[in-house]
Amino acid sequence: MIQLFQVSKSFQRQQVLDRLDLQVKDGDRIALIGQNGAGKTTLIRSLLGQYEHQGKLRVLERDPRSERVEVLQHVGFVPQHPPPLQMNAGELVAFADSLSEKPLSQKVFELSQELELDLHEHSSKPFFKLSGGMKQKLLIALTLSKEPDLLIMDEPAANLDPSGRKAFFHQLSRLPESTTMLLSSHRVDELLSLVNRVVEMDCGSIVLDEPLNEGISQGRLMGCELTLHEVNNSIRKVLESWQFRNGAEPGRYHGEIVEEDRTRFISAISHFSHHIRGLQLGNS
Amino acid sequence: MNPSSTSQRGSTPFKSVTLLDLRESVRARWFLVYLLIFGGAVVVLISLGITESRVMGFTGLTRLLITYFQLCIAILPIFILITTVRTVVGERESNVLEYLLSMPIPLGAYYWGKLTARFLVVFLPVFGALALSITWGTLQNLTIPWQAVSYYTLMLATLAWCFLGFGMFLSTLVRKQEWAMGLAFLSWLLLLLFLDAILIGVMLQHKLQEEVIIGITLLNPLQVFRTGAMLLFDPELTILGPASYVILDFFGKQGYLTFCIGYPMLLGWVFSLLGFRLFKKGDLV
Repeated sequence: MIQLFQVSKSFQRQQVLDRLDLQVKDGDRIALIGQNGAGKTTLIRSLLGQYEHQGKLRVLERDPRSERVEVLQHVGFVPQHPPPLQMNAGELVAFADSLSEKPLSQKVFELSQELELDLHEHSSKPFFKLSGGMKQKLLIALTLSKEPDLLIMDEPAANLDPSGRKAFFHQLSRLPESTTMLLSSHRVDELLSLVNRVVEMDCGSIVLDEPLNEGISQGRLMGCELTLHEVNNSIRKVLESWQFRNGAEPGRYHGEIVEEDRTRFISAISHFSHHIRGLQLGNS
Repeated sequence: MNPSSTSQRGSTPFKSVTLLDLRESVRARWFLVYLLIFGGAVVVLISLGITESRVMGFTGLTRLLITYFQLCIAILPIFILITTVRTVVGERESNVLEYLLSMPIPLGAYYWGKLTARFLVVFLPVFGALALSITWGTLQNLTIPWQAVSYYTLMLATLAWCFLGFGMFLSTLVRKQEWAMGLAFLSWLLLLLFLDAILIGVMLQHKLQEEVIIGITLLNPLQVFRTGAMLLFDPELTILGPASYVILDFFGKQGYLTFCIGYPMLLGWVFSLLGFRLFKKGDLV
């Protein structure tokens, strides 16, 4: 699906992508993580054929720059910040529909509805006057309605409310297995159930590229003991949602997790890292 | 809203971009101001009774047309430049371009679609104003100078195309809207200065030959429009003085009228093509 060989990009002598090598197979679902300025957006824009670069880059076996239109027919993109489009919401749908090989409008309305955006009510409003969440929902609905082979989303859930996030992740989970996803996010924990690979960027380089469940036995349980300095309601709720029990000693919790969920569990409790005194994880 | 009510399925990307930009421009505040200025100008000129006045032998609808055309030459270019130079650079800065170009729009369809829409938005109100003045003239039983009207219409279309091309060129040349606006204003000022002040200064100092000075003048599209408008009603170009000999000896009347359309049209094409080349080259966003 995507091949990068020694791809570099610099702006005014500042190296933003530094000789990247990356192979993405059809159906790979990647969480692209990294600090601000790590090069995620530059990489995404290069994949969309918007930046010139050094090295070789192929998307769907094509050069995204010289064969932009052919590549983009199969790519769906949701930007980090919804652009201040002057057109109204209905015009945006009609515009995207006119550029697509297959009809989108009906599907956009359905997907928007699932995301709790009533497009019938807002279609005559200028896009830039919609709230941040509404804009994001509409862009997501437009992108998913295209049923793209490659889905690129830059912080897609940043502006969504909890119920919108839930509906959005549900929509992503329904996509065909053959859909390749590249999801850039700061909150890797909420993507973990959707992705099978994590790519971390730092200073324009790929510093981590790992399949999530490699070497993990399906369904094997792991025992876990967690010792806390202090227990508050938030952490108690998280642990209870993982069916952890409070032991005899206050602040000591134990439970079991399925091995595939290990990363997701660690990510979930990482928000409370300053409360954690000890963590033991091993075969049950 | 019915999902299919605004469907544009089957239209080309060029047509989709053109229609979209047309709709956005028509809704924009600058268009309302533009419409009020250029549409309102004709209404004001008529209500002021300009067709009754006589200046240098011109009266009736001819007098109105000359005044309207002079007004257009003075303010249409800067209006076009200010509203056009932000097209590409503004969409780049606001990330609109990042999103639009993530859709399968050919770059040519985006660029030429925008340019076509802007041309229609700029030219149609001016054309409408001319049509209004003719309708009014017909109702008042005034003689309609059809030749002049046709030539002025063509000339205004050319003027719009020339400055739209230049505006799009500036819009693709720079990466900041402030720079684009600054360059647009500076260019307009330079053209205005070469219209009179600087050139007269140069002539007074006798540092250049007359032919060279007139040659430089004729490179200025503003001057070309101005002289072309004069030539239609003053075939000897007596208003210009000695410069008229050089122009008329070199071009002849018909030749110069053709030049007044051809040269700015060519400039518009050259700048818009250069702009497209710049737009395609390098980073798109």
